[in-house]
Amino acid sequence: MKAPLHKSPPPRPRGKRIENKERTRQAILRAALDLFAEKGFYQTTTRAISRKAKIAEGTLFNYFETKEDLALYFFEQELAQIVDWYQHDKRVRKAGLPEKLFAIIHRLLERLGPYEEFIGAVYLRALQPSSRLHPLSLSAQEQNLRYLRFIREVLAEAAAEGEIPNLGDLGAYGFALFHLAVITYWLQDRSAGKENTLALLDRCLKLATHTLRKGGWDW
Amino acid sequence: MGLVKESSGAVHRGLRLGKLGLSITGSYLGYQAQNIFLGERQRDQRRRQFQTQSSRRIRAELGSLKGAAMKLGQLLSLQTQALPEEAIAELANLQMHAPGMHPTLARAQFKASLGKDPEEVFRRFEDEPFAAASLGQVHRAVTRAGETVAVKIQYPAIRAAIESDLKLLRSATLPARMTGYAPGDIIDEIQRGFLEETDYVHEARNIEFFRRELNGFDYLTIPKAYGDLTSERVLTMSFVEGEIISRFLERKPSQAVRDLIGTRLVELYYSQLHRLKTLHADHHPGNYLFQPDGRIGLVDFGCVKRINFDVSDLIRSCVGRTWRKGHKEAAHVLHLVFGPRVPYARARKMLPTLEALAASLYPEGKDADPLVHFGKAELLRNLAQALKKALRDKVTNPEFAFISRAELGLYSLLHQLNARVNVRETWRRCDC
Repeated sequence: MKAPLHKSPPPRPRGKRIENKERTRQAILRAALDLFAEKGFYQTTTRAISRKAKIAEGTLFNYFETKEDLALYFFEQELAQIVDWYQHDKRVRKAGLPEKLFAIIHRLLERLGPYEEFIGAVYLRALQPSSRLHPLSLSAQEQNLRYLRFIREVLAEAAAEGEIPNLGDLGAYGFALFHLAVITYWLQDRSAGKENTLALLDRCLKLATHTLRKGGWDW
Repeated sequence: MGLVKESSGAVHRGLRLGKLGLSITGSYLGYQAQNIFLGERQRDQRRRQFQTQSSRRIRAELGSLKGAAMKLGQLLSLQTQALPEEAIAELANLQMHAPGMHPTLARAQFKASLGKDPEEVFRRFEDEPFAAASLGQVHRAVTRAGETVAVKIQYPAIRAAIESDLKLLRSATLPARMTGYAPGDIIDEIQRGFLEETDYVHEARNIEFFRRELNGFDYLTIPKAYGDLTSERVLTMSFVEGEIISRFLERKPSQAVRDLIGTRLVELYYSQLHRLKTLHADHHPGNYLFQPDGRIGLVDFGCVKRINFDVSDLIRSCVGRTWRKGHKEAAHVLHLVFGPRVPYARARKMLPTLEALAASLYPEGKDADPLVHFGKAELLRNLAQALKKALRDKVTNPEFAFISRAELGLYSLLHQLNARVNVRETWRRCDC
């Protein structure tokens, strides 16, 4: 796993120690994900992860206290990756709102695909208020806000284009809930290629966009 | 007697939903029903030729049916009122149209089914579809070897939607089934056909079958299926040139070309019945591609009907009107048409209808014009009346659910072509 690249000198150069730390975090995550995909979440021991990441088992806990921390970090990485992808994918930027939102959720699901068991395991825990992954948890807050800001921006773009009315924060919150619901559905989806999730996603997004455009439930 | 009692509220709501271009209930066939009304704008031109009244009647007819029941209606034309022949043409042309997929969804579905992104298996893949297919859409692509192909991608989860629709249809038609107006075996047959259509691996096998069996017709092009680039939801086949009927007719082809194409279509039809005992049963106009010199491309082999009775015998009997010879002969013909379940006394009532059909397809007598003028729509009317009467008299045969669909589709195509065909002569060439 590559460490973050800094082309020009960053405004506040990070110390080598921080950089190394980040590199180790990434190495652990990569090792863990590889093992989850290969052996399954429940079969993977912390010992195996630390061995694969070439660190001492004790050190592992300095980085990630629980598997939820690992998951949190994983989502953080994925979110950053998706924001970056979205900003650079010209075709998706030009697409209609239902397609944009579809692409965002679908891309995340595709990335989660190989680690389904892992996601499923942390997902249930995440719904408990004591969990660090809980939508209202403070540890996850920063990341949640980053996500919400990103979605709010996407929706604001669509509003500027006249595709939907301006929804403000509420739209982003609504979408976040929908996103969670879709992940739940996806985890349970046993159809070939999880095509039921594709259909659900497509229908819901088209319906919602239409409803918003027409200003309410016109039936 | 209708299969489904009209509920104006639900239909109204269905229409509103239809505007979304998708159905909230997840009902695929329900979506079809809405499409009739949706397509209105595009079909305005055609509809304008119809009388206002007849088009109003089409709506009334279709409005009382929903979803899969509507498809049943398409197959059986089951309303009690007289349907104008144009409405029959309309019914025959009703096609399954899945909601459109944006490029991201099409790609996602491609990958979900084939396990790879289009770019990984094709040299080039066009994001925008060039045609709508019955259950999805078709994209142009170029293989690694440089061949241009058509890639048909199915809208996700269609099969599940059809299954749940048919479940609904079964409960909705319970009264009709109990009274014998909508026999359960017909619904079974429709279910078999529809579900088969969702399996593209099966369709690829059909394509190979027809390609092999019909390769003697040099004017006919049937695509080649690429097995390694095909899965249940993705079908890759060679690209077939030609234009769909509406665009072809815009070029104002001569009567001679239209007659030639008409004759060829009839020839293909009889060849399938007699020699293949298997019928390409989806005569949607989009499945025929025409070229100005009269060549025909045939695509979409999702709906194929294998015939389980001696259809050659039946057609021979119709041409020769063998039922006039006596009870035994009449009973034989009626047994062929209606199967063993319908008693002779009831089936006998259909003889005048058979006479009428035979008269319009195989004119007899020295002075009769041997050509069938399909532009006149007489045949469509007769066929519609026959189906209606069969349903009213409860003399339906599931064997004919898809044969009727194919027949209606074929005659409607010939009607649009305004073709003149010597059907009897063409039949004689094929029945050997």
